Amino acid sequence: MRVVHYLNQFFAGIGGEEAAGAPPEVRDGAHGPGRLLQQLLGPEAQVAVTLVCGDNYAAENLEQLTAWALDRVREAQADLFVAGPCFEAGRYGVAAGALCAAVQQHLGIPAVTGMAEENPGVDLYRKDLYIVDSGTNVTAMRDAVGRMASLALRLLAGEEVGPPSEAGYHPRGLIRDAFVEETAAQRLVRMVYAKATGEKYESELRGAVFPKVPAPPPVIDLGRAKVAIVTDGGVVPKGNPDRIQGNAAQNWGAYSIAGVDDLRAEDYEITHGGYDRRYVEEDPDRMVPVDVMRELERQGVVGKVHDQFISTSGLANPIANSRRLGREIAKKLKEDEVDAVILVSA
Amino acid sequence: MRLTLFVHPITDLRLGGETRIEGAALTVGEEELRGALLQDGRLESVSFEVVRPGEHARIGGVFDVIEPRAKQPGDGYDFPGAISPMALAGRGTTHVLRGMTVAVLGEPSGSVIEMAGPWAEWCPFSALHHLVVIPRPRPDLPRHMALNARKQAGLRAAAYLARASLGLPPADTEMYESDGPSQPRVEGVPRVAYIAQVHSRQFVAEVDEQIVYGHNTTGMVPVVLHPNEWLDGAVLAPNAGLNVLTYHYQNHPILTELYRWQEEGRVALVGTIATMAGGDNFDRDLNCTLAAELTKWALGADAAVLTKTGGGAPHADMGYTAKLLEDMGVKTAVMVGPPNLSPERTVESSTLFNYPEVDAIVFNSGGAYFELPAARVERVVAPSPEAAETFFGLEKLAASRVTGVTSQQGAQRLRALVY
Repeated sequence: MRVVHYLNQFFAGIGGEEAAGAPPEVRDGAHGPGRLLQQLLGPEAQVAVTLVCGDNYAAENLEQLTAWALDRVREAQADLFVAGPCFEAGRYGVAAGALCAAVQQHLGIPAVTGMAEENPGVDLYRKDLYIVDSGTNVTAMRDAVGRMASLALRLLAGEEVGPPSEAGYHPRGLIRDAFVEETAAQRLVRMVYAKATGEKYESELRGAVFPKVPAPPPVIDLGRAKVAIVTDGGVVPKGNPDRIQGNAAQNWGAYSIAGVDDLRAEDYEITHGGYDRRYVEEDPDRMVPVDVMRELERQGVVGKVHDQFISTSGLANPIANSRRLGREIAKKLKEDEVDAVILVSA
Repeated sequence: MRLTLFVHPITDLRLGGETRIEGAALTVGEEELRGALLQDGRLESVSFEVVRPGEHARIGGVFDVIEPRAKQPGDGYDFPGAISPMALAGRGTTHVLRGMTVAVLGEPSGSVIEMAGPWAEWCPFSALHHLVVIPRPRPDLPRHMALNARKQAGLRAAAYLARASLGLPPADTEMYESDGPSQPRVEGVPRVAYIAQVHSRQFVAEVDEQIVYGHNTTGMVPVVLHPNEWLDGAVLAPNAGLNVLTYHYQNHPILTELYRWQEEGRVALVGTIATMAGGDNFDRDLNCTLAAELTKWALGADAAVLTKTGGGAPHADMGYTAKLLEDMGVKTAVMVGPPNLSPERTVESSTLFNYPEVDAIVFNSGGAYFELPAARVERVVAPSPEAAETFFGLEKLAASRVTGVTSQQGAQRLRALVY
């Protein structure tokens, strides 16, 4: 079993913060914690090469470093890629996560790393990778590397990895259903009692961390702006020509309202199962307010109403999918030189 | 207020000439019951079937499941406000036929009770006897009236059957007693409240839909109810179901669990709030704020558990109510789960609220993507022969279709584990 191991300047023994600009280098065999890794992976394992890079260099040149690392891993004909463990070191964790994700995606071999919960690399990459919880204490190196090795061996053998609490990795946020002995009622009362009496409790769901999307600058002069209506309420032309699904819609449609002042009930239908549709079926302007927008256009409050409205269904729409739909819609609206959007949600 | 249940176990159920209970055997006087239910002129006909545990059978098209219960005369009325005059529920004695249900069928419903096969182990109703009631409202009736007639037929049947036990000595007695918010605080014993949505305004309640003491909840704001009122017929499952069953109001998993903890001296169950998920932002903010405020100031709760009815908007409302409570110093735990339809199966897609303070969450599976093989059945009981056809040849069933497996009332044991 051939392994490629990635270390930062500190764990490779080059130096501390002052050496964070160290450029990437390849070293033969195992170095630093890599020796422990090799030992714990078992007699079949060999760390063929160790890739070393300073944390600052990595942070500032992540794309090039990644391409470089992929080449090294290919050359080494590695079966496994391991990075870190990084503990709390944030730049190290982000680089390790990026490299592991790239190796996994482009080379199709298992990649494992380890970080403390607070390491920014965890939230960025937990969905994509197995990130062992190393804790913050570097003296727990043996334990962290041990868990990384066990996990790696399972991945290589194609075995089930097991739940986060057992295998010691940060929850990836993937859901699997299973029967448990206790009813939800029993678990709920026990949990609130613990919380109310100051005892420890473990939530069955911990909130996701969503990356912040910076707001664009405001529209300076609405009276000169082109405004488009976008809805996730599933209002589509009768017949649903683009076959937009009412649930977890995969696509969106742009529909002409050129010369239209008011949407007529007979021209539209609703593809969305999550709200009482009767009122929008009676008058689609209730979800796609063309009538009001036209008035505002006539009054000069709004410069121009875009001659298409965009529609999809937001019901039970996975976030990754919604992100894609949003990006695609934004791209089209930018091409159409739209300045602002009224987003009407069901 | 104290509610005493006189429990009469039923281990044998059959149709026959005269309604009577002998030991643990209930004979249902078919013509008598039919006559009683057809007093409601909105029904054209009604049919009955008996389904027993262990049968290779499937009951399809489940509209509601109701436990036969009848008030001791003088202690109130059966399902008050709905099929009886208004009276405070939750006091005195109620007779219960335990070990059986009235299962009301009607279209359209894809819900099934699996009496055999892999789902039987997890379906809470496979171990019980069922008197299946299939009311057939006149076809010319407006839909809401037909649904009301259907619901009432089930409730009347349940009360009618339980009345056969009046005067018989119970095999068992259960007592539910709570002095409510006026009970003095005991050091180390948290005062706990339960806040439950009973309807979601994603769906406009029918004018004659009967949910809280027969009221359809339109125009309602959150109300304080004594725990016993839920257990004694004050609250009924809505027409749309929404993973809520009348049986699980009568045998409420969360209320009975809280009462158990109270028996052990660990919590004080100070009361409950019935609320609704909002139909718009204003409605939502009003209901969430009042529910929280009543919990803190009317009930004097230290902690609260919350459940919802319906889908995403109720989920978000429940989270917001919990956040408001946490802001007021009340510790909360919330139950999320069905009908999470997101096919992506990630935490990210299941998180419809994200308040750091609302950090005690029970996570049930949405149930739509967990399947087990359907039983090979010899018998299907369904609202019509056409419906029976569709229920016969099923190869597998998702958890969300098996009655009682996914539950907004706390009965669920199918958990969503995060990997």
